[in-house]
Parts: sequence; structure tokens; C-alpha cells
Amino acid sequence: MQKVRQLIRPEQIRELSLLLIIILIVIFFGSQIENYYSARTFQRISSSVMIIMVVAVGETMVVLTRNIDLSVSSMVGFTAYLAGQQVSQNDNLSPAVVVLLAVSFGALLGLINGLLVAYGKIPAIVVTLGTLAIYRGALVEYGHSKNILVRDLPDWLVNLPRETLFSVGELDIRLLAGLAFIIVIIFQMVLLFLPYGRRLYAIGSSPDAARIAGLPARRIVLLAYVLCGALSGLGGFIYLSRIGTVGTTAAQGLHMQVIAAVVVGGVNIFGGSGTMIGMMLGAILMGILEQSLIRMQINEFWKDAIFGMFILLAVASDALMMNRLRDLWARGAIQMRIAQDAAVQKE
Amino acid sequence: MNQLSPVLEIRGVSKRFDATQALDHVSLTLYPGQVHALLGENGAGKSTLIKIMTGIHQPDQGAILLNGRSIQVTNSSQAQLHGIAAIYQEPMIFPDLNVAENIFISHRGRGAVVNWRKMYHDASDILGKLGVHLEVRSQARGLTLAAQQTVEIAKALSLKTRVLIMDEPTASLSVHEVTQLFNLVRTLRNQGVAILFISHRLEEIFEIADHITILRDGKLISSKPVSEVTTETAIRDMVGRDMESFFVKDESRRDDLILSVQGLARSGVFSGITFDIHHGEVLGFAGLVGSGRTDVALALFGISPADEGKIIYDGQPVTIHSPAQATHLGIAYVPEDRREYGLVMPMSIAANITLPMLRRYLTRLGIVKRRAEETTAEEYRQRFSIRASNVRLVTSKLSGGNQQKVVLSKWLNTKPRLLILDEPTRGIDVSAKAEVHHIINELAKEGLGILLISSDLPEVLAMSDRVLVMREGRQMGIFTRQEATQETVMTAAMGQKITVGGI
Ligand SMILES: Nc1ncnc2c1ncn2[C@@H]1O[C@H](COP(=O)(O)OP(=O)(O)OP(=O)(O)O)[C@@H](O)[C@H]1O
Ligand SMILES: [Mg+2]
Repeated sequence: MQKVRQLIRPEQIRELSLLLIIILIVIFFGSQIENYYSARTFQRISSSVMIIMVVAVGETMVVLTRNIDLSVSSMVGFTAYLAGQQVSQNDNLSPAVVVLLAVSFGALLGLINGLLVAYGKIPAIVVTLGTLAIYRGALVEYGHSKNILVRDLPDWLVNLPRETLFSVGELDIRLLAGLAFIIVIIFQMVLLFLPYGRRLYAIGSSPDAARIAGLPARRIVLLAYVLCGALSGLGGFIYLSRIGTVGTTAAQGLHMQVIAAVVVGGVNIFGGSGTMIGMMLGAILMGILEQSLIRMQINEFWKDAIFGMFILLAVASDALMMNRLRDLWARGAIQMRIAQDAAVQKE
Repeated sequence: MNQLSPVLEIRGVSKRFDATQALDHVSLTLYPGQVHALLGENGAGKSTLIKIMTGIHQPDQGAILLNGRSIQVTNSSQAQLHGIAAIYQEPMIFPDLNVAENIFISHRGRGAVVNWRKMYHDASDILGKLGVHLEVRSQARGLTLAAQQTVEIAKALSLKTRVLIMDEPTASLSVHEVTQLFNLVRTLRNQGVAILFISHRLEEIFEIADHITILRDGKLISSKPVSEVTTETAIRDMVGRDMESFFVKDESRRDDLILSVQGLARSGVFSGITFDIHHGEVLGFAGLVGSGRTDVALALFGISPADEGKIIYDGQPVTIHSPAQATHLGIAYVPEDRREYGLVMPMSIAANITLPMLRRYLTRLGIVKRRAEETTAEEYRQRFSIRASNVRLVTSKLSGGNQQKVVLSKWLNTKPRLLILDEPTRGIDVSAKAEVHHIINELAKEGLGILLISSDLPEVLAMSDRVLVMREGRQMGIFTRQEATQETVMTAAMGQKITVGGI
């Protein structure tokens, strides 16, 4: 038991249980829906999850610092619209420039959020509830409620979602889904191996202690918001290429799905703990649920109710399970210390 | 004796918080290789002075000199760069990070990428030098206060520290751990580190300090080498009057039992706990920190109930499974960690004190009677001389010791019949401590049964009718007042065979 405790952290048990739930749900839907185990199901789910996943990477970083960003949906919508408008007006923009445009405009919007939260000392929920409305309002004003149309977009952009990285049997791993996965892995590495990542946890874990330890808390939080904005920009680009027709209401309400993925994935809403891998599993779980319920033709009301139930379950089980596990782990550590003390005394 | 030049000098520092003049032209000089003790009552301004030295507060007036040159310290990372590190009164750890990360989190220049293996290795190294065994991979969340403190000391030492400030580091430690800490302090002193040390336990001060500075109401009262200070002069300088320094409990034990516990156990935590408490009796709980004393208290109060054994309360067998039920039975528990369980920091003193008994302060419409609430709180403020201009002040602004007094008031206000006190005088100054001892005595005379957990051995010996000693979750024995001495209790707590006779 001691060995097990040393090798596995409570967080990992949580991630394993998410994986288990995903498997159970897939088995359940497989028995309910005809032809469920097909390449088409896989495509649908993976392409619906990838945008949420990319944006949720940024959201996770913000949430780890005991803050929140509600404005991600407006940032995705705005960057999607802006990028779409630019490519449709001049055809010869290279893909790299378009991506850069979306990402840097997103980062700029994130910077505004970050400055207000970190330096303006306004609670994050207030700031981003405000910018959620403001960014959307600005987009409506800017777009004059004109839509970006698929036929105005260059071919490379329209075909991008069907670009395949490689195939495993029947399943095609699409470029964009692969990109989303790689981003999750990269940022998981950032959290694990860069001092910046560890400091995100530190700040969320105890803001007071962070101040006293001399951590540059404000800069760290600011950067988290900028990254969240930049990733929302990337999400906007993916949205544009996947949906094609983009209006001023693009991606409205997306922030709820993003936050749901983060919370269901076990990222503590009060900061300090959680992983990108967990978030990814959360996003996949929610994606599977959504697509499968659509296929079962469950009505909208029940779909939302089931979603809500999952979120509540996730948060409640988080509180219960993690406390139990942590308690068990801590006791293990104490017992081990006592044993070591005894051993030392014997010598 | 000190031909060396000072490392750090504080000159004429003043600091005001709203209506409180926390510091008034205070000067202090720290020399390398010297342990400098800072004494003063609760709210005298000790912690404020330290927070100015580490850049958490800015002085209204005065200067800080490092090696003779004036410096500005505007935040903690600057203080760290200057080689000034501090261990604060309330442990400042990151609960979600593990031990090693807590030690190295504010380090710069450990490479662009976190090298976990090296970090664990270095952390075990530092802890090894401190002579403590802590699993560097375990999360800080579950650590005991003493362990958290060790982590903080390790953190301070891992930086190149020239001045080490320790704000009441011994408050949550037991005798054994204090000895270890002092060995460490002496090692550091011999390496030329200047140490500023705060404690309310005078016997410790005389054991470790080279120089003693005393503050009262934010003013510097005296600053002398330890050879020129005695317990009496120190107390007089702190309190501003003469005071007897120790108190011994009167005989008040009655014949009828209030609580009888038989074979109480909680698997993996403690086992075989058997004792009786009579009305009017104080049963002391001694043992090293982490010996399971608090766990027994938590079981009796229903926070983490026992899973074996019998509890007979007032002649009735009971199983206590929740704090609400315990409170209903007339059991009150004053916890050791005031930040976690004791106080609602953003609420006023009055609101905190009446919280568990709010029912008594409601009008028929369920509205809180502010006047009645404040009258009660005012009584306690005077009884314990809680240093606050009025009871409407939020508790987060009180000094550590005064917060502790509020916690105590809160539970006494529930008018309990069995009172469990867990480290009730931790961080409390001499006069308030005497006051608490006096109150324990009074309550016992009124017929309350009191279970007193304390790591302050002289206190346990003076206040208890009988002393139960625990070690590693087991009961080592119960000593009567005559049998209980420093030696018998310590040997039992350390797990050695009790040698009869001796000195
Ligand atoms: N942030 C603050 N705001 C307002 N008043 C404060 C603040 N911090 C401290 N004070 C007040 O300043 C005075 C000095 O407090 P300080 O914490 O320095 O006392 P202390 O000597 O460390 O006491 P203790 O022994 O109880 O820890 C107290 O009256 C306290 O209420
Ligand atoms: Mg203090």
C-alpha cells in the first residue's frame, strides 16, 4: 500500500476513473445506437471536441491560479470573424499569417482581461463577465451583422478539417484534432516541467503564501490570461475552418462547455490542482455525451439536464473523493515517518 | 564582545494601521552570529516589525540598513535577494504542492526546466541536514504544523540567508522538537547567520538568546545582552508592571465522573485510549507533536469519530458521530489550528464569538441582536484583554495572540460542561497566559471537566490534576500530580522505559 501511495497520486486515480467512465459510456451508447462503433462517430466526436479542448487548455491555466475566464466564447467568436474577414478580402494571405493574426488578436483580448484582473484588482468573474459582453458587443458593431461565407474563403482553409495526419485502420486522425492533442500535451509538459507551470499551482494553492514567498503573482496571472486569449484565438481559427459560415453570434455559449470540460476533468475550481490530461478526458467525456445524445435524438431539455447532472456529479465527487484520498495519503505519510523515526531510534 | 559590524540595522521605524500605532520609532541592530530575541505582549508590534524587514509592509518612517548601506525593501523577493528570510507565525505553505516544491518554489536559477529528480534529491539533502525525516514527495496538505514549520525552515535555509527571522517558531512544537530546532539555530549562528527570534516562552529565550529586545505598545522599552536580563525584569518590561510568572491549579476535583473512555481507537491513528474525567478535574494530555493527542480530541468531538471503544458521558453510553451532537451533549473543542477551524477571518470579533450560539442572539423574527452580541463580546474582550479598539473589528487584523483569545472566547461562550482545549496558550503572551490559566482554574471550580492538550510541559504539569501521556497513538500511562514531573512525562513521551529514582 505504501508503495502504491508513493507511485500514484490522488489526481491520477481521478483521471483513471474518468477514463473508466468514458469506456462505460461508450459501451452504453454502443448498445443503444446502431452502427455506433464507426469512423463517422469518431470523426464527429473528435471534431466537436477539438475546439473546446484547445480553448480549455487556456482556461485551465487561468483556473489553476484561482481565477476564471468567462469571455473565451466572445474571444473565439471575434477572432474567427476577424480572421475570416481578412482571408476573404485578400486571397493571397498565407496560412501562417492567418493563424498568427487570430492568435495575436486573441492574445490582445486576453491581455486586457489579464491587466484588469491582475493589476486592476477587480475579481476575475466580474471582469470577464464584463468582457464577455463587451467583446461580443464590439464584434456586432464591427461586423454590422454581415456573415462570412464559405464561398469567400480560400480552398486551403475550407479543406483543412479534412486534412488527415495518418490513419489507424478505418479511423483517420485529422490534422486539427492532432494539433489539439499536441497542444494539450505541450501544456501538460509546461505545467509539469517549467517553473512557470509550478508557480501557477502555487498561486492558486495559496495566494497569501505566494505573495510572501516573493513570487511575481501578478505577472504570472497576467500571462495566464494572455495565453488563454491566444489559445482562444487559435480556437477561433479552427472554428472558422470547421464551420465556414461565421456570423457575429459565432461560438456564443462556448464558454459553458469549456468550463464544463475543465471542471469535469477534475481541475479544482478554487485553483491549485488539476491537469491538462484530466481536462482533456473531461472534454472528451462531454463531447461523447453531446454527440451521442444528439444521435439518440434526445430533446434539447434532457440533453442539457444530463450535462448539468454530470457537472454536479463531477464537482461533488471531486470534493468527496479527493478529500478522502488525500486524507488517506497524508496518513500514510505520517505513518511512514513514524516508522522511520522508530527505525532511526533503534540504530 | 561584538567587534563585528552589524548586518542589519533598523533605525527609527514607525508604522500606523488606521487607529493603531503598531510601531513607534523602533530601532534594532542584528549582528552576524548572534541570536537576538524580540519580546512583547500580543499586539506589541513584533510581527509588524518583521513584516517591515521582509517588505510585506512599508514603514511610514525610518530606515533599514544592510551592511551599513540604506536599502529599500518593497517586496519579499527583494528581501530574499538581500539574504533576509523569514518564517512567519502562521505557516505559509502551498497545500497543493509537495514538500520539495514548497522548499524550492521561489528559487531562481535552478534552470529553465524543472529537474524533479534533482529537486527531490536536494530537498532530502536539506531536510537531512536538519535531521528530520519527511517524505519530500508527499503533499504539504496533510502535514502537521510542526512538519509544515520544518518545511519553512528548510525553505529559508535553501536560500543564501544572512538574516533569519523566526516569528514564534516554537509555538506549535513540543519539547523534543524545540531541542532539535535549537540545535539547528546554534549551528546557523556558528555559521555566522544573524537570527531574530520571537517567542512567548521565556525559558526558551534564556536558553537560546544572546541579546534581548523588548517592545511594548509599539515602543522600544529595552535592549540588552541576555546577561543583564532576568525573568522578572523581562516580564516587567513587557507587561509594564510586576506579575507572578506562574500559576498552580487549585484542588477542585469532585467524586462524580463526567466522562469515561474505554479502549477508544481509530484504526491507523490511535488505539487503546482509556481514561476518566471527573467533574472539576483537569486531565492533561502530554506527548510529542503528532503523538495522536489531537486525534483523540477530534474523535471525542465527533469530527473524525472513533471506530472502536466505549464512551460513557454522564453515566450514559454514547457514540459521538458529529460535532453538532457533541455540542448538544455539552462538549466544546477549542482547536489548535485557528486559521483552519477556529475563526472566520473576514468577520468581526463579535460575530465570531457568538457564531456557535447564534440562536441565543436572535429576535423572534430571526434577526441578529447586534447590541446583545456586542455586549457579550465586550465582556470577553475585557476579560482576556483582547487588544482591539472595539469588537466590531475584523479578526484578520488582530495580532496572532489576540486571534487565539477570540477563539477561546467563542467556545467558552457555548457554556460547555466538558471542555477540550488543544494548545490553548499557543502564541499567547505571559499576562494573557496567566489569565487563561486563571480561567481554567475557575471553570474547574465551577465543576467543568477539562481535557488540556498542551506541548508546553510546565503548563501541563502546573494545570493538570492528572497527566495522560501518549506516544505514536498509544497511551503510555496516566500520572497523578505527584508522579508527574518533567522527567517522568518526557521519558514516557519518548517511549523509553520509565526509570524510577534517578536524580
Ligand atoms: N493589517 C493590519 N491592519 C490593521 N491593524 C493591524 C494590521 N496588522 C497588525 N495590526 C495591529 O498592529 C498591532 C501590532 O500587531 P502585531 O501583529 O505586530 O503584534 P505582535 O507583537 O506580533 O503580537 P502577537 O504576539 O500576538 O503575534 C496590533 O494591535 C494589530 O491589531
Ligand atoms: Mg505576531
